[in-house]
Parts: sequence; C-alpha cells; structure tokens
Amino acid sequence: MPSEDKNRIAVLQGTLDLIILRMLQTMGQQHAYAIATRLQQISEDLLQLNQGTLYPALVRLEQQGHIKGAWGKTETNREAKFYSLTKAGEKALVQETLRWRQMSGLVDKLLSEGA
Amino acid sequence: MRRFFAKFATLLRRDTAERELSREIESHLALLQEDFERQGLSPAAAKLAARKSYGGIEQAKELHREERSHLWLEHFFKDLRYGARNLWRSPGFTAVAVMALALGIGANTAIFGVVNSVLLRPLAYKDPERLVTILHYGSGPVATANYFDWRDQTHSFTAMGAADFWSPNLTNTDKPEHLYGLKVTQNLLPLLGVDPLMGRLFAPGEDQTGADHEVILSHALWVRLFNADRNVIGKPVTLDGEVYTIVGVMPPKFKFAPYWAIHAELWVPDALEATAHQRGGNHLRVFARLKPGVTFAQAQADMSTVSGRLDKEFPATNRGVTVIPLMQKVVGNIETPLLLMLGAVGFVLLIACANVAHMLLARTADRQKEIAVRVALGAGRARVISQFLTESLLLAALGALVGWLLALAGTKALVFLAPAYIPRVETITIDTHALLFLLGVTVVTALAFGLIPAVHAAATNLNDSLKEGGRGDSDGISRNRLRTFLVASEFALAFVLLIGAGLMIRSFHALQLIDPGFNPHNVLSMVVSVAGTKEADSNHRPAFYRELLEKVRHVPSVVSVGAINHLPLEGDQWDRSFLIEGRPDPRAGQEPDAVYRLVMPGYFETMRLPLRRGRLIDERDDARAPGVVVINERAAHAYWPNENPIGKRIYLKEQDQAQRNWLTVIGVVADARQIDWDADPSEEMYLPALQTPDFLGQTTSTIAPHMSYLTLVVRGSGDAKDLTSAVEATVHSIDPNVPISQVITMDGAIAKATAQPRFEMLLLGLFSAVALLLAAIGIYGVMNYSISRRTREIGIRMSLGASRRDVLRMVLRQAILQAIVGTAVGVVASLLLVRLLTKLLYGIQPTDPLTFASVIVVLGAAALIAALIPARKAMHIEPLLALRSE
Repeated sequence: MPSEDKNRIAVLQGTLDLIILRMLQTMGQQHAYAIATRLQQISEDLLQLNQGTLYPALVRLEQQGHIKGAWGKTETNREAKFYSLTKAGEKALVQETLRWRQMSGLVDKLLSEGA
Repeated sequence: MRRFFAKFATLLRRDTAERELSREIESHLALLQEDFERQGLSPAAAKLAARKSYGGIEQAKELHREERSHLWLEHFFKDLRYGARNLWRSPGFTAVAVMALALGIGANTAIFGVVNSVLLRPLAYKDPERLVTILHYGSGPVATANYFDWRDQTHSFTAMGAADFWSPNLTNTDKPEHLYGLKVTQNLLPLLGVDPLMGRLFAPGEDQTGADHEVILSHALWVRLFNADRNVIGKPVTLDGEVYTIVGVMPPKFKFAPYWAIHAELWVPDALEATAHQRGGNHLRVFARLKPGVTFAQAQADMSTVSGRLDKEFPATNRGVTVIPLMQKVVGNIETPLLLMLGAVGFVLLIACANVAHMLLARTADRQKEIAVRVALGAGRARVISQFLTESLLLAALGALVGWLLALAGTKALVFLAPAYIPRVETITIDTHALLFLLGVTVVTALAFGLIPAVHAAATNLNDSLKEGGRGDSDGISRNRLRTFLVASEFALAFVLLIGAGLMIRSFHALQLIDPGFNPHNVLSMVVSVAGTKEADSNHRPAFYRELLEKVRHVPSVVSVGAINHLPLEGDQWDRSFLIEGRPDPRAGQEPDAVYRLVMPGYFETMRLPLRRGRLIDERDDARAPGVVVINERAAHAYWPNENPIGKRIYLKEQDQAQRNWLTVIGVVADARQIDWDADPSEEMYLPALQTPDFLGQTTSTIAPHMSYLTLVVRGSGDAKDLTSAVEATVHSIDPNVPISQVITMDGAIAKATAQPRFEMLLLGLFSAVALLLAAIGIYGVMNYSISRRTREIGIRMSLGASRRDVLRMVLRQAILQAIVGTAVGVVASLLLVRLLTKLLYGIQPTDPLTFASVIVVLGAAALIAALIPARKAMHIEPLLALRSE
C-alpha cells in the first residue's frame, strides 16, 4: 500500500465524484489526465490525487451511468479516453451539490459558533 | 442494482476491460511524458519522469480492478483454481488433510443424522408437540377407574385415551402367528390425528363389550398377511380364537405406541367395563392432547388437583401422577447418550481441525516467498487471507464430500448395529437437515483450521522473505508456539475422549461380571402360546404343557427342561402385593409385594438357580395339592428378617376375592436378575402355574388373557441354538397350530440386555481411537516438520560436539512437553466433563483412577512413538551434509 503524504489533503470519500462531475459540467468532455492536472492546478497542489484514486472513481461513475467514456484524440494527436456528463449525471450533480452545500454549511456553522 | 449488473457484465467482459485499462494508463503516461518534454526534458528522461510521477502501475491496476468488478467473485474463482493447483501439487498433504477432515465431518454428520431423526424430528402425528402421556408414579401404568376419573374431571385436554398391551395369537391361517398389538379406547386413535390409509378408525360405542370385535391393521401387517390386498376391509381375522372384522389399515409411517409396545401391529377396541371400578391392577397407558393455549405446566396443575382429590377419596391410589410431553417420554432415555456422542464427534472434528491447521501453518512457512511476491505485486492483506481461506474451503469441501460418503455408510452401519433400544431407529436417515448441517460444519471447519494460518501468512514480512537465502534457520517463534499450542490441544481433546471410552469399557466390564444368579450358558428359550387354539381350553391346557415338557425332555442332547411365564430379562414383569398370615393388616398401599412369576416343574433346575432353603416346586404341586410358593433370598430377608420363612403362609391380594387362598412358603432360591440387567433384584415369588386358576383358564379375571402362554427353557449339553429346530418340531408335533415366538438363548438375552452400554462403548471407543490416531499424526507431523526446518541447526550443534543422544533427547523433549501440556489440560477438562457420563456408568466412579492412569500411559506411549520416528531421523543427520545443504 502506498503511504499517504501527511501535508496534503486526503480527498473525502464521495467528494471526488462530485468534483469530477462538476469539472465535466464546466469544461465539457475531458480525459483522465486533463482532469488530474486541472484538479492539481485549481487546488494549487494541495489536493494530490494518486492515480489509484482517480481511475476507480471514473469507473464507479461510469458504472453508475453518471458519465460515459469514448476514445478520441487529443490536440497533440494522442489517443485518450474522453469522459462526458450524462443526463443522469447532470441530475446527480444537482442533488450532490445541494447535499454538499447543506453539509458544509452545517459544519461551518458548528465550527464558527462552537458546538 | 444497475451497478451490480454493470459489474457483473464487466466480469464477463474481463479481457476487454483489462485491455481498456492498459490502454488508458498508456495514454495517461503518454500525456504525462508530453508535458515533461514540453518542460524541456529529453524524450527518454521525460518517459522516466512520467513513470515516476505516475507511481505503481500494477498497484493502480489492482485498485482499478477492485472497483471495476465484483472482484471477490473473480478472485474467488481465481483462488479456487490456484488452490486446486496447489493441493494437486502436494498430494500427500492433501490426502492426509482430506482424510482427517472426512473422518471428522463424516462422523459428525452421521451422529447428527441420528440426533436429528431421533431427537429433533417431530413424531409422525398431527401437532405432536401438543400430545402428552400421563403416568402413575412418574413412569408406571394406570388403573381403569383412575383413567375414567382423570378423563372426566380434568379440563386441560381435548381428549384423553388409554391403551393396553395385547399380544394375541393369529389362528385360522396357514401359518399361526403370535402378534403384537394394543387394545385402545375408541377416542385414542382420533386424538393422534392420523387418517387411515383405507377404511376407518373405531366408531363411538365400539369400545363396549360385545361391540368390540373390530381390528385396524398396520401397513406392514396388511402387506405381510394380505399381500396388500385392497379389498381387505370387512374381512375376518381370528385373534386368540375370536373373530375380528378388519375396519381399517393405517398408512406406512404410522406407529403407535411410540414408547413401550413399540412393535404393535394391530389395534382393537378396549372394552373397559369389566375393570371400570378397579383402582389397583394398573395396566393402562394414558395419552392425551392439550387444549389449545393450555401449557404443560397448567395441564400438570390440573391433573395434580384431580389426582390429589382422588387420592384423598381412595387412599394411595393416585400418587405421583405425571403429565409428560410424549416426545420427552419417547426419547428421554436416549437423549443423554446421543448428545454425548455428538459431543464426542465434535471433539474428533476439533482435533482434525487442529491437525490440518498446523499442517497448513507449516506449508505457509514454506510459501513465504510466494506470498511476499504476491504482496509486492499489489495484493492486499485481505487478498492473501482470502486466497488462503479459499484453499482451506476447498480442502474442507473435499473432506465434506468424502465425509458425506462416510456418513451415508456410517449411518447404515449405525442403524444395523444399533440395538433395538434406540426409539425411532427406523426413521434414521441423512435428510436435508443433515445435509445442511454438513454444509454448515464444512464452512465452520474451513474457517476454524484456515483462519490462523491465513492471518499468519498475511503477516509475512516482505523484506525478510524476499532476501536471498532468507529462509530462516529457526522458524518464527510465534508460529512455533502456535503449532505447539495446536498439538497440545489435540492431546487434551484426545485425552477427554479416551477417558470417556475408558470409563465405558470399565463400566461394560463391570456389567459383564454381574452374576445373573442363574447359569445362562446352553439355555434356549421360546414363548409357546396356546391362546386361540384348542389347547387354550382349561381341560387341555395343563395336559398340553405337561406333554410338551415331557416330550422336549426326550429330545436328543437336552439336559433338562422347564417353563416360566415371564422369563427374566426378556419377559414382562408384574408386581403383586400379598399379606402374611398372623400379621396385622398393613395400611392400604403399604402391603408387602414381590415380582410374581408362574413356573412349571424343572424351571429352577434348568436355569441352575440355586436352592438356598427348603425345596423346589415339583410334580407334586398340582391343582389338587395345597398351594405353595417359592421366594427369593431378598424376599426372605425383607419379610422374614429374623425367622425361617419355610412353612409360613401368605395370600395374594386379589381385587374381588371371596376366600383367601393360602400359599405355604416351601423354598428360598437365590436372587436372579430381573427385567433390568444393571438393577439389583427385588423381592420375588414363584408360584406353580398348575395351581394358578388364572393360568388354568378357570377364571374370567382381567389378567387371565395375559396368562395364555409359557416360556419354555431348555438346557442342552452343547450350544443351545442347535436345539432350536428339534424343540420347535416337538411343539408342532403336539399341535401344529400353536405359535412359537421370541426364540432366544439366555446368553443372547443377556447380550441384548447389555446392548446399549456395548453400543455406547463401541462408538466412544471408535471415536477415541480416531482421536488418538489424529493426535499422533499431529505430533508426528509437527516433529517431522520442525526437524526438517532445523536440519542445519542440528548440524551445527553436532559439529559443536552434541552427541546423537543429545539430539534425540532434545527432539523427544519437545514432543513430550507438548504431550504433557496437553495431558494436563486434558485431565482438568475430563474431571469437569465426566460428570455427564455418570448416568451411563455402572459399578465405577467417573473419576476412576485406573482409567485416568491408563489413558495417561496410552497417550504418552502414542506421543513417544509418534515422535520417535522423526527423532531418529534427526539423530542420523550428517553434520557436514546438513551444513552444506543451504
């Protein structure tokens, strides 16, 4: 088992799926490498995804029918699998976003007021 | 759900998925490399950097795969294939392990099959759990007047019926036969809730005198007597000389009564008017069905109220009236031994598990490198454990398969060997319940012996194992301890089983040493019944039996001959109370009583039952002579403690006796065993049959119909069995219509009476022998393995000056230490557990020191022998070869 790097934020179970869905919604279809790179850029390297986490998440989402993958070419004419959001994925994103907002709001509240 | 199918689909398209995965990773790497190249690295350097930054490809793949499919299923099949290959590659290990497990699982399944069929499966009546039997003095039969009062005065039962044993002669056929049946009240069969196969049950009113000549046949009797003729209803049969009309045939599985009179094959109505007012002469067994919602306790309370009231009204007639669930009465005596056997086979299985577990542990140690490689390639700890457990499951499944075959054969053998005492023995099968049990045991077994080695395997330290030559001279200490623990527990378990078997053997030996009081060798016995034949007539009966004795006496190689109504061990046993002349009348219920038997002259001489005082019954004592009685020593001590009983007079208490028939005590004979082999004889009296009006057919009393037979006893000069056909021919030369039944030698009768302890001894002996063998294999296996691992160490020791004796001592010490620890635990466990055996033992204490000492010796010897073979191997290790072998 690869050991975790303590300085980086471990991705919360379930939130990775949400992040991927949101990314695909705003950026359109993307391949796994692009998703990984983009994630790293946005999080300013705080969020380190290891490949072992990203791929299972993609497979999971594909099996749930939230995204679908198709092989295509990159700008540099490389072969890659491009993932895009499905109808079901759109719906799931709305629900998951709502839930995340509620959750994070609750946690914020608890943290600021002192439970 | 959707996800499940998607996973399943990917499982089927596994190769495609696998290709997709590689392709995607490749593309990812290519893109990474591109980025690095853009940063100015050379293609080669960029490629390397991409790899580095990506991380472990195989690990990523493995994680991906786990997510991708229902991985366990795929893993399971893979593990199964892998495990099968592994087992195939070491046939010796596989054979021993499978055999050990098969013995354990097979024995458990067979015994469970018996327990399930006998103890767990409900009786074959409607709602059998609502049926009870009501008995007097906890276990005795009931008088008619009491039955009527109980039936009419209680409120807890929907119906209460009664049955009376009846064994009539079937005549007016080509083959006269002595049959076993029951007389039943009209309401008894309906309350059981079983419909007849053909015809009907008894109608109300048919249990009245004059209307009571109907008969219902069992399925087996119908097949035997009438060839399963479907037109049998309405046909006549002659029973004890009277014509009965067949009104019904019961279905094949119907048996009644389930305890006592279990061989009954026909049922007739029981007209009870004649005895309706009797509160003595207990002869009925009472059965009832609880009303819905009424508990056993409520029924017992109800019954106690009624019987308490009756006991006040008719003193000493209603004591200890007990409501017992029918099932409990049926299996009550066999429950303890059967559960003990189940416990014993459980021990055998535990030993087998311990055995296989330490064999697996040893294998695990040898497979450390293999495991390390798998872990390095990304197999998680769970994967390694599941791989090992799958292999265990495969082993257990093979064991179960062989065990199942063993159980089938074993059950057949058990039923064949099982003495008739096991109730419901005919229902014993390996059914679905037993198969489910087998499956359950298999899985539990696999976990039991597989889990420890699997966890150990998973804990393998990667680096140590992969290091070149890193096989370790001395095996991991914890693993070693674990194996020692396993072998020690095998010894402890085997010890307990051996104690059980040893106690049974000692107890059985004590039973064999019992002096029956008579000489049983070379004596043949058979029941000759005149009921329903022309010999039954009171004018013919004495002449018939006299002629019979006279003719048999002249059969070649017959030494002597006599007859008795109830043969010891084999026959019925009646108690009768009497009064002694010149003593004040005792209070009701406290009269002296004794076992009551009728004999013909020659009985005591033939049985060689010694005369202690006075004289024996002989030809003089016939109907015209004054009444006489012979008593046993116990009766003499009990009733004439300080005087000579010879010449004293008694009379039997009869129900409706106008005048007293005085009997003079003429002799005292030795005590003879009675109905139970292991019970001390009680007071007993012998009366001349030829002086007994009931036997002579001169009365119409209720016991007269039970007196229409005598048991012939014939002493031969050689094996009594050889006399059988000659004696039978002699009976039939006088009257071919007189049926003969229950032909048995006295030695055979004793063997039958001790069949239960013999059976228990054989089973426990067998199980403990298997246990001992497994434990010995265990210690051998562990020693052998440990020596093969320590070859180099021993080589070093020897080259440093250890003598071969030292090596031998070192190895033996390890083995003996294991045996001693195991034995010590075994002694403690046995002392705690032997209490359970108390009920089954005769004549010895469960803590019998001789048994404990013998078992310690046997187990010690087994350990020594098992350890000696590997120890000798160790002794002959060549130091130089051993050192070079690395």
